[in-house]
Amino acid sequence: MLVKGEVSATQLVEECIALVETDKCNSFEAMCFEDARKEASKITKVEEDEFLKGIPYFAKDNYSTKGVETTASSNILNGYVPTYDATVVSKLRRAGMIQVGHTTMDELAMGGTGTTGHKGNTTNPYDRERIIGGSSCGSAAALAQGIAPFALGSDTGDSVRKPASYAGLVGLKPTWGRISRFGLFPFAPSMDTVGFFTRNVLDASYVLSTLSGHDNHDMSSSARKKEKYQEYVLKHKSLKKVGYFKAVMDGIIDPVIKKAFVNLLEEMKKKGYEVIEYDFKEELLDALYPTYMIISCAEAGSNNANLDGVRFGPSAMNNPQTYKEYMTDCRTRGFSDLIKRRFVIGSFALLAENQPEMFNRAQKARRLIVNALNEFFDSIDYLISPSAFSIPKKIKDLSTAWSTHPDFLDNILTIGNFGGYPSITLPLCFDQGMPIGVNITGRCFEDGHVLACAQDVEEITNLHDLVTEVK
Amino acid sequence: MEYEPVIGIEIHVELKTKSKMFSSAPCTFGEAPNSQTVPFDLAMPGTMPVVNQEAVIYGIKICSAMHMNIARTLYFDRKNYFYPDLPKGYQITQQFHPIGTKGYVELVIDGKTIKVGVDNAHLEEDTAKQVHLSDVSLLNFNRCGTPLLEIVSDPDMHTGQEAMKYVETIREIVTYLGCSDGKMENGSMRCDINISLRPKGSTTLGTKSECKNLNTIANIGSAVDYEIKRQTEILESGGSVDQETRRWDEALKRTVLMRKKTNAIDYKYFREPNIVPIDLDEGFIYDAVHSMNKLPNQYRVEFRQLGLTDYQIEELLSDREFVLVFEDCIKLGVKSPEILWNFLMVEILGYLNKNEQTLQDLKFSRDALVSLVNIVHAGKINSRQAKEVLAIMLEEGADPVKIIKDKGLEQVSDTGAIENFVDEVLACNAQSIADYQKGKDRALGYLVGQVLKASHGKANPTLAKELILKKIRPCGSNK
Repeated sequence: MLVKGEVSATQLVEECIALVETDKCNSFEAMCFEDARKEASKITKVEEDEFLKGIPYFAKDNYSTKGVETTASSNILNGYVPTYDATVVSKLRRAGMIQVGHTTMDELAMGGTGTTGHKGNTTNPYDRERIIGGSSCGSAAALAQGIAPFALGSDTGDSVRKPASYAGLVGLKPTWGRISRFGLFPFAPSMDTVGFFTRNVLDASYVLSTLSGHDNHDMSSSARKKEKYQEYVLKHKSLKKVGYFKAVMDGIIDPVIKKAFVNLLEEMKKKGYEVIEYDFKEELLDALYPTYMIISCAEAGSNNANLDGVRFGPSAMNNPQTYKEYMTDCRTRGFSDLIKRRFVIGSFALLAENQPEMFNRAQKARRLIVNALNEFFDSIDYLISPSAFSIPKKIKDLSTAWSTHPDFLDNILTIGNFGGYPSITLPLCFDQGMPIGVNITGRCFEDGHVLACAQDVEEITNLHDLVTEVK
Repeated sequence: MEYEPVIGIEIHVELKTKSKMFSSAPCTFGEAPNSQTVPFDLAMPGTMPVVNQEAVIYGIKICSAMHMNIARTLYFDRKNYFYPDLPKGYQITQQFHPIGTKGYVELVIDGKTIKVGVDNAHLEEDTAKQVHLSDVSLLNFNRCGTPLLEIVSDPDMHTGQEAMKYVETIREIVTYLGCSDGKMENGSMRCDINISLRPKGSTTLGTKSECKNLNTIANIGSAVDYEIKRQTEILESGGSVDQETRRWDEALKRTVLMRKKTNAIDYKYFREPNIVPIDLDEGFIYDAVHSMNKLPNQYRVEFRQLGLTDYQIEELLSDREFVLVFEDCIKLGVKSPEILWNFLMVEILGYLNKNEQTLQDLKFSRDALVSLVNIVHAGKINSRQAKEVLAIMLEEGADPVKIIKDKGLEQVSDTGAIENFVDEVLACNAQSIADYQKGKDRALGYLVGQVLKASHGKANPTLAKELILKKIRPCGSNK
């Protein structure tokens, strides 16, 4: 429509801004309406191949955006206005996409409920008593409400793919290194991945084509050739061997999810897929959670050591006399207790006396898990699994206590981050009116094949472009 | 009991790269505070380190000059601690896999060569500069991120003199390679010295003190000597040395306590996740090593072969710029390294110092200098005249041949012309001739001088002497 001139970028942006005002789920942080209007007014002509031009979008509040307050939903960064753009933000701008504002998140991207940011709970548009999942909660809530067709998230454990599952969206975490992380506030860099939400698989492929590629600002960004990922989707260039873990299948208790998942596998067979049951060591699955927590907390504590109130962020109060008092005051007031707990765990794991037993062991466990997965991928093209195993919890039922016996099913998506694999979640079914997603993970840098497989799944479920009216 | 001092030295060398270790900000000095920074230098959230290739090349060169093993894969680690001058809350360094390991440097002391082991050399980044005023502390991030190579010696030294020589040798290496200014006085080379004593013959190390704030080589010697004396006194009076950090107080001429090392800080080192391991291919290392400047020890051998004395060699080596000019002139065919040395290190150096100029300010080419040296060497002008010519060259930059011609300075080596002067002088100095013939050699010198005077300094003295002798030598005499 933009190409034909039936609608203008300005109209789209104005509509988006109007919809922002109707948000009922606490989806937003700082907005940049005026900049967006200015950008939109500059767009007069859109060519056939300018897929993203003129379309409004949101960035999670951990993407450095010049001139727009960016806080990672943490009090410690209140009022921080970056002086530079994240690489993905500049790439989207160059492609003509228009940023309308930032979305809420779990504080500093640590958390999976969407309830720990400084603006309070972000709720699920399908049922506002329930969580939408996190940490990219605001981006998911905005898309599920139909406020924009695309939003940036970030994925360290499952922070894009879990909320996508709970919000009926497509959530893509590409291969680690496929997209530059420069400008993404770090949580755990060895697992952090620029991810994003769309409402169908094809849109995700267009965005990936735009965002991928090496960046001189990020040494971990891959120099591999960029690809036209939409070609994989449009031409159905999927590989054909899909496997699931027996322990995961056995672990699905919810009958609706089980039925939908089994049905999907049957339908995939009809499309020519070979479906393989795989015995993945359960002890490795049990190691997912502790391994993830140790590594991510250790990296997080170090990454966030820059937040000391000295150069940016709110200054200290209470008349500090020494630099220690100054930093302690800023950090004590700036971080929530949940964040402090993670820092303490991370710091503890890195202490010289604990490092061999904790951090080094976690690194070793990570290696074992990835080795086992690579073995899986030696013979099978995709790993498939539900993205969630029950409908999202009610906010009132949440607890901040740490479970002593975590269920590996809750952490199954971290597999994608341990190995850097491309991993996508898209809608599988509805259960008690709540969407539930299915996840497909593939080999590193086979993002195109993963998208193609997701397209096949989307055609089976016929669940795409979902939007809900918020009651 | 007799004690043996054991000394190990850590040197932070600031690398003279165009940009910082992990960011594109320029490494310049003396600019307005905080003007030489990019978001990474202030640890703005989301910024990432990018390893400076030039710093890696410099690291390889310095390590290679110290005979070290060069890492084939580069890894970086985080050293975590909170301090206002450390914006990220961690320093990126190479804790576990330094770029260089296990090498040595050779020190020449009193003609004897001793080897000091170098345990490792690792790349890291400098911190910001703090300025403490009466009621506030200010931070300047211009220095923050400047590449450093930390060179860690083995505890192989035993005297203040060895410590001084070691630091001097490292300084020579890094400056000759063009990798650092190596200026201790303004911090581009910073030394921490660890000193401990142990009973002579013992192989275990005693408790050490660490000494900082040493901004001249002489201070290093003084501090080490002072610490040896201080620790000896403690041990001899039955006490024990505390592990502490001390600093050299220039005014008091002694080391003073900075802080006791009680619980060492746990830096919680771990691999920097934003820098994937970098494989250095052989070609890269080869290029770095084979584009190295000549090192002082190579020059020492060459200059000795040219016939310079040790004194002359060391004087020359104290400034690489002069070495390069000297070397160029040798290549251009200078006939006397000795005369060249004198011109360079006495006349030219003196002139430049007096006028606060550098070699770059010289108004004449190296060819001109070579030509002057060779004219003197050939005996065409004498050294006094040469100085005169050189003075004109320094002021005006003209060609020496032309100056000599214009001033009519060229020595008269035409026998006929000199003979006229000789005859003239002999005719009015009968007494001197008689003196000489009676065996007073001094009289000959007087006569030659008179010939030179008569010729206004132009007569070739050697020729004049020969002619005089021919004319006044008594018949049958052997003189």
